[in-house]
Amino acid sequence: MVKDCTFFTRKEILRLFYRYRDLAPQLVPLDYTDKPAVTLPYELIASMPELKDNPFRQRIAEVFSEHGDGNMTLDNFLDMFSVLSEMAPRDLKAYYAFKIYDFNNDDYICKSDLEKTVNKLTRNELTPEEVSLVCEKVIYEADVDNDGKLSLEDFQHMIIRAPDFLSTFHIRI
Amino acid sequence: MPQPLANVCSTFVPEQTDGKRCWHQGCQEGVLQLVSPQAGGSAGHSASRVFHLSRKVTSIVPESCLLILLGLVLGGIVLAVAKKAEYQLEPNMFFLFLLPPIVLDSGYFMPSRLFFDNIGAILTYAVVGTLWNSFATGTALWGLHRAGLMDPGVEAGLMDFLLFGSLISAVDPVAVLAVFEEVHVNETLFIIVFGESLLNDAVTVVLYKVFNSFVELGPAHIHATDYVKGVASFFLVSLGGTAVGLLFAFLLALITRFTKRVRIIEPLFVFLLAYVAYLAAEMVSLSSILAVTFCGICCKKYVEANISQKSRTTVKYTMKTLASSSETIIFMFLGISAVDTSKWAWDTALVLGTLFFILLFRAVGVVLQTHVLNRFRLIPLDRIDQVVMSYGGLRGAVAFALVILLDREKVKAKDYFVATTIVVVFFTVIVQGLTIKPLVTWLKVKRSDHHKPTLNEELHEHAFDHILAAVEDIVGHHGYHYWRDKWEQFDKKYLSQLLMRKSAYRLRDEIWDVYYKLNIRDAISFADQGGHVLSAAKLALPSMPSRTSMSESSVTNLLRESGSGACLDLQVIDTVRSRRDKEDAAMHHVLRGSLYKPRRRYKASYSRHFISPDKQERQDKEIFRQNMKRRLETFKSTKHNVCSSKSKARLKEKGRKKKNISLTKETPNGKTQRNIPWQEAAPVLVMVSSEEEESDSSETEREDDEGIVFIARATDEVLQGKTTPGSLDVCPSPCIIPPSPTLAEKELPWKGDQADLAVYVSSETTKIVPVDMQKAWNQSISSLESIASPPGTESGPQHRRFVCPVLEEGRPQSASHVTPEQSSCFQFPSHISRSGRSQSDSSPDGPEQQELQPLMATEEQGRMPPTVEPRRLMFHRASHL
Repeated sequence: MVKDCTFFTRKEILRLFYRYRDLAPQLVPLDYTDKPAVTLPYELIASMPELKDNPFRQRIAEVFSEHGDGNMTLDNFLDMFSVLSEMAPRDLKAYYAFKIYDFNNDDYICKSDLEKTVNKLTRNELTPEEVSLVCEKVIYEADVDNDGKLSLEDFQHMIIRAPDFLSTFHIRI
Repeated sequence: MPQPLANVCSTFVPEQTDGKRCWHQGCQEGVLQLVSPQAGGSAGHSASRVFHLSRKVTSIVPESCLLILLGLVLGGIVLAVAKKAEYQLEPNMFFLFLLPPIVLDSGYFMPSRLFFDNIGAILTYAVVGTLWNSFATGTALWGLHRAGLMDPGVEAGLMDFLLFGSLISAVDPVAVLAVFEEVHVNETLFIIVFGESLLNDAVTVVLYKVFNSFVELGPAHIHATDYVKGVASFFLVSLGGTAVGLLFAFLLALITRFTKRVRIIEPLFVFLLAYVAYLAAEMVSLSSILAVTFCGICCKKYVEANISQKSRTTVKYTMKTLASSSETIIFMFLGISAVDTSKWAWDTALVLGTLFFILLFRAVGVVLQTHVLNRFRLIPLDRIDQVVMSYGGLRGAVAFALVILLDREKVKAKDYFVATTIVVVFFTVIVQGLTIKPLVTWLKVKRSDHHKPTLNEELHEHAFDHILAAVEDIVGHHGYHYWRDKWEQFDKKYLSQLLMRKSAYRLRDEIWDVYYKLNIRDAISFADQGGHVLSAAKLALPSMPSRTSMSESSVTNLLRESGSGACLDLQVIDTVRSRRDKEDAAMHHVLRGSLYKPRRRYKASYSRHFISPDKQERQDKEIFRQNMKRRLETFKSTKHNVCSSKSKARLKEKGRKKKNISLTKETPNGKTQRNIPWQEAAPVLVMVSSEEEESDSSETEREDDEGIVFIARATDEVLQGKTTPGSLDVCPSPCIIPPSPTLAEKELPWKGDQADLAVYVSSETTKIVPVDMQKAWNQSISSLESIASPPGTESGPQHRRFVCPVLEEGRPQSASHVTPEQSSCFQFPSHISRSGRSQSDSSPDGPEQQELQPLMATEEQGRMPPTVEPRRLMFHRASHL
């Protein structure tokens, strides 16, 4: 059943499930038939040592979690991986990428969103003026309809032009 | 690219005759002398100039073509003089002296990570492909022979043809790689061709030896079991050789761990142990080539971490030189034997058949293998890639060397084979080598993105990488990279601890230590040469390969710019571009300079004749450049604050001019320049700075030489620095090197470590500039000074006046810090400094003071430990005044 919603085979889903369970063995029951309402708190994900340096950990968790609070259910967990799998269509990926950038959830990437992104990517090494210059340039480059912010269409348009977006934005199972 | 080649070529031209004589006597020293890089150094210069002029030629004609032509000319000369070809390639010489450097070079410079990532495809192409090529070619030729199409003089059985097939299938894509690098084909294609080129020599030689032993046994004595044995021995020999290589790599890494006190022989160990690995494998008749290759691949990481910077450079260049030398020698033999027709036995059917079959089977092999591989590949190799791969099957030096080594007694058709091989090598290298570049262009092979990516792409690519990394981590699924991660853990836990020095191991943990080291080194060189060399070095950065020749105007432009210290960024100073372009470039630079890379990005390039700085280094440099620029800006702006009123007026003028184009607030001093590089590139500013620069250009240029000397010695001193604590207190260097906390640094997330780092930096820098460097130091300062501010006779006293308050302030503080013992060691060599100062006849005492003051100011906001020394220095200088 879950299989229909994702791009995975049963085996892969099982493997992901075990991984999910490994994150919090005390919370997640092994038996998932009756769909217990289990969520993984964001703190668990944030505390993973591998993720310590990753600037986007919180944002990813937020985007993919159901209520935008970073707490993940198994379905969210699968979704996240599904979107990034090889099989997912490009538009879907672009949509989620867009959502990750859209920090204030207003369905537009505006300057403040971009500034956040740039700051995360550069570990705040740029001065505010530089950041704002960069962001202006970025918007200027991609803004087709000239409204000073990037809509999903703008974003998709730009992504499609970028040649190897498809080849980079996925995880190999 | 042509320059190293030219050097190599010329190294061997003048040595040719006597070197050859030595070989003829089987004299080992002859080879060593010939191979030694210093031998033809002076001749190299003149020749390199010639090659420099013919840059155009080398951009069209691949290196191997030129080498062969050179060989032909030489062969003609030799033949004309001696009437017969005296020189022959001998098996011992080839296998003992010429082959190991080539193979070691390949192994050592293999980007191991990329290699192991693509190891499946590479192994397939190298092993299966080579096997297929040799068997198919051999059998087909044998069929041709059986069909009676060949001259009856070709006495050869199946075994002979298989032997021939094995040696002719040694694909040598060096020429292809050169072309690939030039046109920047996509990375997948590049690494596959590259990896194949590395491994198939080994496979070919192993195969060749197996067949050779078969032929020597004679077909009559070969039983069915021998074939099985042959196959078994193929694997045994290969795997055994690999094992020997790994063993010696381990030994080598372990040894270099303990060579701290004998730095001078570190490179020697590298070469010696690799060579011993070769000999050891040879002795137990395992594949010596694989042994050396894997020794090179595996030891590199640890060796590089253990040995000193100097040794690293030595190893790098010596290895490249040796490999190029060997190849050149082989090509020369090729040319000589090509001219000497007495060794030829021409058979049209054989030659044409061979040419046809190698092309055909190469293509078939590539297509079949790719078909299989594409099932497992993430990004399939498309048809165009396959065409290029098939067409790129050039035959090179190794094939020729192997055929010339055949035993005429055992292989009756040797002369035919030699002639055929020569033709094949000529055809593939010259015809295919010349046409592959147009072909690549014509087929529109997927290039690696060389156009400057838009800011969006740049940004998103980074973001995606991070996102992917994050998701992978959350899910705990490392898929493709699982084994690599496992290995890395093992490596980190055990191997590195065992094989690396403690210091090296620690350094690896903190990338920022490396960053600081780079920073320090570059800062010294920068300060020393007034920025000239630093920016000149940027010319060679492969990040802008398009800029092969700079127009005269832009060079002077650049000199002025960098001379004024305002702009270290070359990309910004492009010759004629619209303002928007400049903004774009500047923004890119700002962004790229400070984007930090997620863990999954790497890229490789390889050329036998060209060493490119590796990615990490480049990245560090970028970041460094960014910071350095800022630092200089702050430095300059603070300095201008205390400048004479005259220069202030000028600055105001400058500021006014700038306002026209500036976006930021109007502060009428250097501060407007900060961090907005495109402004500095604006023509208005160039004019202003040139005004000041022109008068000093001669002086700064003259000092360039000394600067270079200074650096060389400085690095030398690092090695011994620890044993000479006396020098610690004398040098004034820390005043410039401890990085004044720029905005960026203050905000760094790892600020917690700052205290440690600061200590580290200060002790390191004090080591770098010992007492006898004073002169150079002063000169550098004066040069910097004279560049930065207009020289005026009245500036000296004023400087002194301005500096005084700082001194007063510094005195009581330093008193509390400096222990009596420390201050007693301190001695300021005033006479040296004075002599150095006389170079800049403008300000008698100003330079140092002025230099110190602004940095002091920034220093004080910063960290405690390093401030001790500058203050002390100030103190003592003051007493001198």
